[in-house]
Amino acid sequence: MNTKNILYILGSLLFFLGLTMLLPLLCSLYYREGDAAAFLYSMAAAFCIGALFYFLFRPTNGTISLTHREGFLIVTAGWFLAALFGALPYMIQGVLPHFTDAFFESISGFTTTGATVIARIEGLPHGILLWRSLTQWLGGMGIIILSIAILPLLGVGGMQLYKAELPSPVKDKITPRIAETARTLWIVYVIISIVEFIMLLTGGVDVFNAICHTFTTMATGGFSTSDASIAHFHSAYIDGVITFFMLVAGINFTLHYSLIMGNFRAVLTNSELRLYLAIILVAVILVTINLRQHTFYEAGESLRYASFQVVSIITTTGFTTANFDNWPALSKIILLLLMFVGGSAGSTGGSIKCLRILLILKHGYKELYRLVHPHAVTAVKLGKRIVYPETMASVWGFFLLYLVMTIVASIILTFLGLDIMTAFSSVAATIGNVGPGFGGVNPSTTYGEIPCLGKWVLSFCMLAGRLEIYTVIILLIPEFWKK
Amino acid sequence: MRVIVIGAGEVGYNIADILSKEGNDIIIIDTNEERLKDISENLDVQTITGSGSSPQVLKKAKLNQAEMVLAVTDSDETNIVACLLASAQSPSPFKIARIRNPDLNRESILFDKAHLNIDLCINPEREAVNDVINLMEYSGASEVIDFAGGNVKLVSFYVDPECDVVGKNLQQIMGTYPEGGDILIGSITRGNEPIIPSGKTVIKEKDRLSVFAKSQDVRGMLKFFGKKAEPSERVFIVGGGNTAFMLAELLEKKLIDTIKLIEKRQDRCEMLASRLDRTICLHGDGTDQDLLKEENIQDADYFIAVTDDEEANILSALLAKQLGAKKTISLVNKASYNHLIPIIGIDGVMNPRRASIGKILHFIRKGKVISATPLGDEKAEAVEFIALETSDITDRPLKEIDLPKGTIVGAIIRDGEVIIPGGDSIILPGDHVILVALRSSIPQIEKILTVKLDYFG
Repeated sequence: MNTKNILYILGSLLFFLGLTMLLPLLCSLYYREGDAAAFLYSMAAAFCIGALFYFLFRPTNGTISLTHREGFLIVTAGWFLAALFGALPYMIQGVLPHFTDAFFESISGFTTTGATVIARIEGLPHGILLWRSLTQWLGGMGIIILSIAILPLLGVGGMQLYKAELPSPVKDKITPRIAETARTLWIVYVIISIVEFIMLLTGGVDVFNAICHTFTTMATGGFSTSDASIAHFHSAYIDGVITFFMLVAGINFTLHYSLIMGNFRAVLTNSELRLYLAIILVAVILVTINLRQHTFYEAGESLRYASFQVVSIITTTGFTTANFDNWPALSKIILLLLMFVGGSAGSTGGSIKCLRILLILKHGYKELYRLVHPHAVTAVKLGKRIVYPETMASVWGFFLLYLVMTIVASIILTFLGLDIMTAFSSVAATIGNVGPGFGGVNPSTTYGEIPCLGKWVLSFCMLAGRLEIYTVIILLIPEFWKK
Repeated sequence: MRVIVIGAGEVGYNIADILSKEGNDIIIIDTNEERLKDISENLDVQTITGSGSSPQVLKKAKLNQAEMVLAVTDSDETNIVACLLASAQSPSPFKIARIRNPDLNRESILFDKAHLNIDLCINPEREAVNDVINLMEYSGASEVIDFAGGNVKLVSFYVDPECDVVGKNLQQIMGTYPEGGDILIGSITRGNEPIIPSGKTVIKEKDRLSVFAKSQDVRGMLKFFGKKAEPSERVFIVGGGNTAFMLAELLEKKLIDTIKLIEKRQDRCEMLASRLDRTICLHGDGTDQDLLKEENIQDADYFIAVTDDEEANILSALLAKQLGAKKTISLVNKASYNHLIPIIGIDGVMNPRRASIGKILHFIRKGKVISATPLGDEKAEAVEFIALETSDITDRPLKEIDLPKGTIVGAIIRDGEVIIPGGDSIILPGDHVILVALRSSIPQIEKILTVKLDYFG
C-alpha cells in the first residue's frame, strides 16, 4: 500500500471538493442571508488540507499506478472525506450544530439518499439549500468519476478507482480511455440535467428551485427545498416531469449515450431495461388499483400518485407527493420491496439494481431447467454474452452481503429502541439510498429522532449502499490490511 | 490516434501498454476472455471479445475510425486475414502483421498494395536474430543498435567490477578518455531503472551503460571500458528450430569461423545438416556437460541458447558460462526475467518479443522520426529524427534548449558526418538527431520536435 500516492490523490480530491463550494458561496453572496462565511471557512479548510497533501506527497515521476486495494481504500476514504468536509457548512452556519447530525445530512447528500435530519427545511438560507442539492448531484454520477474526468493525473490509476466507485457485474467501457469514458458519462449527465432544468422552468418553477430539484432528480437523491417535497408544487405537470426524469436517471447512462449516438438497437434489446420498465409497470398498476379501492383518490389521481411514488422509490430517489405511510398495506409492501430493487446498473440509482435481480432470476431459472434436462449444457446469458460463473458468484455474494447488512443494522436499531417497521424501513431506505421510509421515518417526519449511534449505523449503511457494499466492507476484513 | 490491436499475447499487450500510456486510444481484440479481463484491469484500453478475423468484430471496434491495425496473434493466417478484412472495410488504417513463416516472408510481393496490402510484416525471430548478429561484431557488448544507417551505434554493456571507471563520475571519466570525448553515455540502467546521466552521475559496478559512438570508434570505446572488442570466431548454438536455423544461416554469411549447433531431435539435425553448409550439427542435449567439453566449449566466444524452453535456455547458458564459454546469450521472452539476467551472469538476452516491439515502435514513429528503440528495461527509448526548421531545438546551443528532464542528445549527423555533441553544439535544420529519453517524456519530446505521428509519409 503506497500511502503517499493515496494521500496525494485524496489531497487533490479535497482541493476539488473545495472548488465545488464556490457555487453555494456565490449563491449565498447573492441572497445575503449570512451563510457566506460558512462556505468561505469550509472552502478554506478543504483547500488548505487538500493543498497540503497535494504538495507534500506529489509523486516525483508524474505517473501513478494503483493496485486494487489502493483503489478501494481511496474511493471509500474519498467519500468519507467528502462527507466530512461537506458537513462543515451545516455546522458553521448553525443549521445542524451537532457533528453527528451534520455528518448524517452531508453523507445522505453525497450518497444521494435524501434522508434528512432537518425538521424545517423551508426558511434555511439559499446557500445551504443549494449545497444540499449540489452534494447529491455530485454524488449521483460519482465524485471520483468526476475527478477522473477532470483531473488528468488519475489517468493511469483511474481504472482501479472507476471500478471501485462504479462496480457493475458486467463491464461497460464505452470508449478506449477511462478518462474519456468518465467524461462522456458526465457530459450525458449534464445534458439530461439541462433538459430537465428547462422543462421545470417552463412549468413555472423559479430558477433556484428548478436548479435544486434538477440536481436532486438526476442524482436520484431526493432532497427538496420544501418540507412537503414535490407535493409543495401542487402541479400535475411538475409531478410528470420529475417522474419522467427520475425514470431516465434510473436507466444505465451508457444506454443514454447509445441513444444519443443513434444506436437504438442497443436500447431496444437491453434486457435489464425491459425488466426495469416491466417492474415499474406492474407496480404502478397494482398500486393504482389498490389506491383507488381503499382511498378517496379519483382514478386519475391514483395513477398520478402511484406512478410518482413507484418511480421515486424504485429509482431510490425518495421524493414524495403524498405520505405513503398512510397508504393501504399492499401499496406499502410493494414500495418497501421496491427499495430492494433499485435502478439499473450504471445509473445514478442505488440499491441491489435490476441487473443483479435479472441475473439472479435467470440463474434460478437455469437451475430449474437443469432439473428438467439433467444433461443439458447451460449458461446464464445476458443478451448474447455468457455470464461467467465467477460473475454469478459475485452477484450472489453481493445479494447475500446486502441482506446480511440490512438484517444486522436492523437488529442494532431495534436494540436502540426503535420499533420493527421504523428500524427495518430506515435501514432499507438508507442502504438502498432511498431516503424516506415507514413508521418513525415516514415522509412527514425526519431521521432526527433516531439515537446518535443509530445515525452512525445508518450513515455507514448509506456509504456502503452507494459504493455497492464490497468497496466498503472489504476495508473491514483483516486480510485487506495484511502486508 | 485510434489503434486496433488484434491478439492479446505478449507483443500485443506490451505495444498496447506503451501506446496507451503515450495517450493513444487502444482497442484490443482477442478470443480469450480471461486474458482480456486481465488486460482491462491493468491497462487503460478497451477490450472486445471475438476473433480479429471476423468482420463484425472489426466493425464493433470502429475500424473506420482507426489509424492503425496491428495483427499480432500467434497465427500468421489469422493476422493476414485480419489485415485483409481491415483493408476491405476501410482502406485508410496502416496495417502491421506479425508473420513468422519464413516462406511467406520471402515473397515480399505478396504484401504490396495490389495483393494483401499489409504495410509492414514483422517476424519476431528474424528481428531478434538480426540483433544478435549485430552484437557478435563486438564480443564485449551486450546490445548494439544501429543509427543513421550504421554510422552511429548505441552500444550497451555491463560494467565489470575491476574496470577503472567504477566509482568515478562521468566528468572524471570523460576527462581520461583518450580522444577528448567523442563518445557519449546515453543512459545507465541500474537494477531495473534507467537513469539518464548528468556529469555528476557516478558509475557503479554491474551498471548497464548505453554509449553512443561513431562506428569506427566502437572498438576503442569498448577497450577503454575494459571490454573485449574483437569479432567473435567460435559460436555455439543450442536448439534446432527456425530461430536457430536463421541464426546459423546468417552467421555462415558473416564468415564466422566455427559454428556448432546442438539439437536434441535426430531428424531435425539431419534436416539442418542438409540445409546448412559450414555449421557442425551435433545431435545431443545442450545441457550435456561431456558433449560440451568434448566440443571445446572453453574456447567458444559465444554460446547462444535458442530452444523453445526459456528456463532451459537460461540454465544451459549458465552451464556453458561455467564451463568457460566467454559470452552467453539465451532466448528469453518473459519480461520478468530481464533484470535477472545480469545478476545470474548471462551476458545477453535474445528477445523476439522485444525486438518486434522495437520494430513496431519504429514504424509508429515514422514520419519525421526515423527510428525508435527501447533501451534497458524498456523504460527508456532512443529516438532518431530529422530536425525541422519549425521546431524549437534548432539554431541554438544544446544547453539552452528546454528539453524534458531525463533527455540527452546522443549524436548529430550532418551531411553524413557524425558529431557527438557537447553543451555548445548547435542543431541545424535538416540534421539527423539521436536522443535518449525516458519513455514517460516521449510524448513531450514529440511535441517539442513538432513531429506529428505520421504513418503514411
